[in-house]
Amino acid sequence: MKEKLNQLRAEFLEQLAKAKDGEYLRELELKYLSRKGELSQLIHGLKDLGLELRREAGALANQIKTELQAEFSRVSQAISGPAGISGPVDVTLPGESFPQGHLNPITLVQNEMEDIFISLGFKILDGPELESDYYNFSALNVSPDHPARDMQDTFYVDLPNREGKYDLLMRTQTSPVQIRAMRKYGAPLKALIPGRCFRNEATDARHEHTFYQVEGLLIDRAINFANLKNLLEIVGRRLFGPETKLRMRPKFFPFVEPGNNGEYTCFLCQGRGCRVCKYTGWLEIVGAGLVHPDVLLAGGVDPEKYSGLAFGFGLNRLAMLKYNINDVRLFNSGDLRFLEQF
Amino acid sequence: MYISYNWLKDFVRLPAKIKPETVAAELTGHTVEVEGLNRQADQFSKVVVGRVLEVRPHPNADRLRLTVVDVKTKRLEIVCGAPNVAVGQLVPVALVGAKLPNGLEIKESLIRGEKSSGMICAEDELGLGKEHAGILVLRDNAKVGLPFAKYLSADDIVLEIDNKSLSNRPDLLNHYGLARELAAIFNLPLKPYEKFYQRKWDAPGHQTHQLSVKVEDSERCPRYLAVRVDNIKVQESPAWLKARLISIGQRPINNIVDLTNYVMFDCGQPMHAFDAAAVKKIEVRRAAANESVETLDEQERILDNGDLVITDGRKILAIAGVMGARHSGVTSETTALVLESANFLAPAVRRTAQKLGLRTEASVRFEKSLDPLLAESAMFRFLTLLQDLCPEMKLAGVPVDVNNSQSRPVAIELDLDWLAGKIGQVIPRAEILGGLKRLGFTIKNESAESEPLSVVVPSWRATKDVSRREDLAEEVLRLYGYDQIVSHLPVLPMNEPEANEARQLERRIKQILAWKHSLNEAYNYSFVGEEQLKKLNIDFFQHLRLVNPLAETQGLLRQSLVPGLVGNIKTNQARNEDFGFFEIGTVFFRASGNLPKDVANGDFLPYQEKRLGLALAGGGDLFDRLKGLLASLLKNLVDHEVAVEFAVPEHCPGWAHEYAAAKVMAAGRELGLIAALRPSAYVDLNLKKSVVLAEINLPALAELVFGTTTHHFQELPKYPPVSRDLAFVVEPEILYNDVRREILQFDPLIRSVELFDVYTGDQLSGGQKSLAFHILYQSPDQTLTAEAVDTIQQSLVEHLVQKFGGRLRDF
Repeated sequence: MKEKLNQLRAEFLEQLAKAKDGEYLRELELKYLSRKGELSQLIHGLKDLGLELRREAGALANQIKTELQAEFSRVSQAISGPAGISGPVDVTLPGESFPQGHLNPITLVQNEMEDIFISLGFKILDGPELESDYYNFSALNVSPDHPARDMQDTFYVDLPNREGKYDLLMRTQTSPVQIRAMRKYGAPLKALIPGRCFRNEATDARHEHTFYQVEGLLIDRAINFANLKNLLEIVGRRLFGPETKLRMRPKFFPFVEPGNNGEYTCFLCQGRGCRVCKYTGWLEIVGAGLVHPDVLLAGGVDPEKYSGLAFGFGLNRLAMLKYNINDVRLFNSGDLRFLEQF
Repeated sequence: MYISYNWLKDFVRLPAKIKPETVAAELTGHTVEVEGLNRQADQFSKVVVGRVLEVRPHPNADRLRLTVVDVKTKRLEIVCGAPNVAVGQLVPVALVGAKLPNGLEIKESLIRGEKSSGMICAEDELGLGKEHAGILVLRDNAKVGLPFAKYLSADDIVLEIDNKSLSNRPDLLNHYGLARELAAIFNLPLKPYEKFYQRKWDAPGHQTHQLSVKVEDSERCPRYLAVRVDNIKVQESPAWLKARLISIGQRPINNIVDLTNYVMFDCGQPMHAFDAAAVKKIEVRRAAANESVETLDEQERILDNGDLVITDGRKILAIAGVMGARHSGVTSETTALVLESANFLAPAVRRTAQKLGLRTEASVRFEKSLDPLLAESAMFRFLTLLQDLCPEMKLAGVPVDVNNSQSRPVAIELDLDWLAGKIGQVIPRAEILGGLKRLGFTIKNESAESEPLSVVVPSWRATKDVSRREDLAEEVLRLYGYDQIVSHLPVLPMNEPEANEARQLERRIKQILAWKHSLNEAYNYSFVGEEQLKKLNIDFFQHLRLVNPLAETQGLLRQSLVPGLVGNIKTNQARNEDFGFFEIGTVFFRASGNLPKDVANGDFLPYQEKRLGLALAGGGDLFDRLKGLLASLLKNLVDHEVAVEFAVPEHCPGWAHEYAAAKVMAAGRELGLIAALRPSAYVDLNLKKSVVLAEINLPALAELVFGTTTHHFQELPKYPPVSRDLAFVVEPEILYNDVRREILQFDPLIRSVELFDVYTGDQLSGGQKSLAFHILYQSPDQTLTAEAVDTIQQSLVEHLVQKFGGRLRDF
C-alpha cells in the first residue's frame, strides 16, 4: 500500500511538472486529487487493511495528500496568477497600504543645500547652539553696543562669568562656526554650516524665536566678489531652476565688507510678479559678502594672504517659499497634519 | 522713513526723463532699499472739499448725526460720528470708492438704519496725524469740490525707505544725504548745503543774554552749540512747511517745533528748542542715580549715572539726545528760545534710549554716530529759516560752540590692483575716481597715476562707517553696479574633501526612521518649562536657565528630548491611532564641555550633546516594538551583525516607568535608554495613549558605527547545522540576557541562540517565565550526529538548572 501511495505521488509530481495551462491542470486535478480521484480511492482502500498497517499507511497517505495539494496549488498559482482571480477584476482598486513616515521640510531643504555644496567640494560643519558672546559677536566684528546684543534680541544663559557678566547665549546665527572652523582648519577652507539659531522675539505667523540657517564660507587666495556672485547664481539655479537670475544690492552686516543682499527671480512667476514675491518679481533670500579682514584675523587667518566670501540663507524662508507654507510656527509644531505633507 | 521727492529736488535737479520709479530702483540697487513709492494725489483720490449744509440728530443713535454735505457735483447724505461737526464747516469728504491712507475703503452703507454716502474724515484717517477726536475742519477759503490733494498742495511723491538697511549710514536719515546719493548714482550736480544757510550771525549790539554753556562730560558730548533767540512768535507754520512735514508723515505742531523737525529731516541733525524762560544757562552732565525728570510725553523718567542730561544748573532740561523735559518745552506763550544743536556719543544715547524704552527720531540718529560738523551747519540752517518764519527775531548773543570733537580727516590708501583683485574685475580708474568724488571723497594724489590713491573720507562718513580700504571697495562696487560685474568661479587647487560622518549618519538615521519605520520627524524647541518637567517628574534643579525667556514655559534649556516628544504625542493623540516621532537635537548641561568659550582665558562652553529621541504611541506591546525598532535601525546603520542588548539600568530618569526601563547596549557600549512613560504622567499630562520612549546618545552611536573593525565574509558552512529547541522555566528575577549568554558560551559547537517564545501565565506558578530558544549546533569540520548534539544539549540543561535553578518545561 505504501508503495502504491509513493508511486502515485511520483507519477503526479512528474505530470505536474509538465503543466503549462489551466486546462491541463484541471484534468490533472480531476484525475488524482478530486473526490473520486486516484488518491481518494487509494485512501478509501485503506479501510481493508489491518489496524497496524492502516495506521502506518494512513499517516503516509495524509502526508502525501497535503504535499500534493500544496504542490498543486503552488503550480496552479504560478500559472494562473494570484489565487482567487477567475474573472475580470477592478484593476483600478488601490494596493495594500503601507505606513509612511515623514521628514521635516527643513531637513529636506537642508539636505538639498548640503548636496549642492558637497558637490562643489565643501565640507559640512556643525557648531554649538549654546555659544559665547565672543564667538557669536566679538569675533564677528559686532561692536559691544550693537543692537543685536540687547537682551531683547538675544537669549542669554543664566551662567555668569567670573566678572558676574552674562557672556553665554543661544547663538543668533550660524556665523560663529566660521570662526571655530577657521581656528580648527585654517586656510584654505570651504565649509557649509547648517544649524539651529535663536532670536528673542515673540512668535507669530512670520516670526519664530527658533529658526534655521545655512551658511557658506570659502577662504582661499584671491577670493573676490565675482566669485561670490557666481556661487550664489549656482545656488539659485540649483534650487529654483536653470532660468533663475540673481540681483544684488548693498546691505550692511558687520562681518562682511562689502556686504550684500541677494534676490532671485521669483520661481513661481519667473519674475513677472505674483503674491509670493509681493508683485516685485524678486525674492530676497540671501545675505552675503566678502569676509571682513577683522573676522579673518579673529579666525587666525592672515587677511594679507587670504580673502574669503560668506553667505547665509534662512532655511525656514527657503522651505516656506518652496512649499508655499504660510506660518513659520508649523516647523516646530510637531503637528502630523503638517508633517504628513512632506 | 519717508522721503519727499519734492524735498530731494531742493538739492539735486532730477531731469523729467528720470522717473520716480527709476529713482526708487536705483536707490535700492546702489544705496538703500526703497520699500514703497506713493503719489500723494493717489493717496487722496476721491477725497474732496465739502461744505456741511445740514446737521440733524440720528433717530437711532445719540452719538451720531445725519448731515447733508455739498461736494459741488451733488449733495450727499452722510452719517457722522464726530462731536465737532457743524453747519457751514468746510471738511474733507471721502466719496464712495475712496481708499484712505489708513486702509479704509468707503462704501455706500446703512449706519443704524440711515443711509450714508461717504465719510467726513478726521486727521488720522487721512494719514495727516494722530487726531481722531473730531473731523478735520479746513480753512474758510477752501473751494467746495476741490480735490483734497490740491487743497493740501499735495502733488508730492513719497519714497518709503527701509530704516533697517540704514543701520551703518548715519548720513542717510535725511533728504540731503539721499540727494547726495542720487547725484552720485545719476551723475548729477549736487547743490552744496552751504548754499542753504547764512554763516555769519554776530548779533551786534544785542548781547542782552549771552548764554553760558558748560560741558562736564566732553566724551559723551563732543560738541554743543546753543544760542538764545529773542522776539519769537510761536504760531502755526506756513503752508509750505506743513506740507513738507505732512508729506513725510509728520504732524505739524507750531512753527518752532516744526522747524526743528524740518532741519532734522533736511540734513539729519536732531535739534531741540527750549523755552528761554526756563533756561538761564546750560550745563551738560551725567545724571545722578535716581534723578528723575518728566519728559515731553508727560512720563516720569528715572535716570542713572550712565545717562547724560542737559540742565540749567539745577533742573534737568532734557535727556541728552533723547527727549526734552516737559517744563522747558516751547509753548504758545514762548517769546524767546534757546536752540540746541549738539553731538552726543552714540553708545551713550543708545543705552539711555534703550533703558528708558524711548526711541525717538533724535535718538535713532544719534545712535548711528553723527558728524560733529553737522551740528554747526544745522544750527545755521535753522536760524536762516527762522528768519523767514519770524522776521522780528533777534539773537540774544553769539552762538556758543563747545567743541571737543576730534574730527581729523581720515585718508585711506587704495591700491587699484588690490581693488581689482577684490572685485574680480578691473574697473576703469576714471569710474573709480568719479564715483568716489561724487560721494564726497577727495583724492589727494589724483594726478599720480602709478601710485595707490590716497582717499580722504568726508566727515559725514568718517564717524564709523568708512575706515579702511574694504569700505572703499564697497563704495566703488555699489556705485559701479553689481550687475556690471561678470561672475566667475575661483580657480582653486583640488584637495581631498573631508566627509562629515556624523552629519551623514544623522541623515541616514532620519531616512531609515521615516521611510522604513514610518516615524515622523519632529523639531522641538530647545526650551522647556518647570511645570512641564514637574509633570514628567524630571528634576530641573540642574537645568540651565535663560536670563530673559519669552515665557515661563520656555525658561529652561532642555536636558532631554523626552519632554518635547511627549508633547508631540499629546498634540496628535486625538487625531491618530498608532503613531511615532523622532527628533535629532541638542541637549544642554551645566558642566563644562570641550569647546573653548573664547580665545583668551581657557574657559569652555557648557557641555552640549546631540541625541536621537524616539517615541511610539498607541496600542500593542510598544516597549517590545521600540526595542525591535532600535535593533533594526542598528542593523541598517552598521555593516555587519551587531547585537543590540537591553540591560537593567543602574538609575532611571524620573519620567521612566519603574519596571519598564532598560539601557540600550551594543558591542559593549551603552547607547542610551528605552522606557515606558511613568504611570502618573498620563494623569498629569492628560495623555490618552500609551507612550514608550527612547533616547540615544548620537556621538556614542557614531563611534559604534564608524569605529568598528572591518567586516569579514564568513565561508559558507560545509556541514549542515542541527537544531534543537529548549524551553526553560525560571524565576522572574532571572534575566534573558544571562540565560542567553550562558547558552552561547556553553559549547563551541553552539553557533546561535534565538529566543522564539516567552510564556508567563496560568500554566506556570508564582510569576515564573518560560524562555523558549532555538539552538543551532554546527561544526566547521564534520557533520554532527543527533546523538552528539543530544549529549551536549543534555549537559547544557543540567548546567542551566545548576546555574539558574530552573527546569525544562514539559508541554
